[in-house]
Amino acid sequence: MTSSSAAAQQDVTLLELVDRVLNKGVVLTGDVTLSVADVDLVYVGLRVLLASVGTLEQLESAPR
Amino acid sequence: MYAFVEAPASVPAGAGIDAAAIEAVVAGGVDAVVSRHDSAAPEATEAAIVAHARVVDAIAAANGAVLPARFAGGYADADALRAAVSERESELSAALARVRGCVELGVRALVPAGERVAAESGAAYMQARLERRRETERLAEELHAPLAALARDATQTVGATERLLLSAAYLVPEEAVAEFRELVARLEEAHPELGIVCTGPWPPYSFATAEAGS
Repeated sequence: MTSSSAAAQQDVTLLELVDRVLNKGVVLTGDVTLSVADVDLVYVGLRVLLASVGTLEQLESAPR
Repeated sequence: MYAFVEAPASVPAGAGIDAAAIEAVVAGGVDAVVSRHDSAAPEATEAAIVAHARVVDAIAAANGAVLPARFAGGYADADALRAAVSERESELSAALARVRGCVELGVRALVPAGERVAAESGAAYMQARLERRRETERLAEELHAPLAALARDATQTVGATERLLLSAAYLVPEEAVAEFRELVARLEEAHPELGIVCTGPWPPYSFATAEAGS
């Protein structure tokens, strides 16, 4: 693996982590307290999703 | 709130978000691993998210089964947490039993940017679209089916965007992780036209949803 694709893989891993922590995991409905505005969380999640796709594209076009 | 584990919880060393101490709260048959904060939920900064993930990793390493909690899913106090758990205890216990001894592996497959052929008519366009959709589903299944066969459970999203062919998570027994990775490598060789990325092992975030065990 080249250094650029290794870096891209690292980026993907961070984005996948953020996606999991913010969008997955147990929520016992009705008792969730979001101190951050819901809108912000949705926005962060969206950005992560878009960024993961973008990073994957970079990874794919990176020389192997 | 970081995770639910089977009681008794083994609380890992180290601090949580904002360097707060980590502790276990007994909530019926399961234990919750938490830290106490002045505000109801910490702000979703990159540092806080990474801190949350590190604590969940440490809890997963110290306990046989872990259900990661979503970030910012806090409770006013231990009683509020216990009250929330009491309604869902059997579900949580079942979900813990299901993920025991397993880790999550993520797989995303991306198709190269397609050349757009101008359709001669609306019908031809619809036909081409339908064929693309079928091809996407066929290809995604070709990747997903053998991987899912190695997993105890799996979630998949096919064709979320035009280029994101497959976005999937697999609940894989720890002893099958190496075999799973080898299979991903073989699928990559069989499909050099695709960009396939495998991440993990993760604690089973994708298998700890609100619907877990239901």
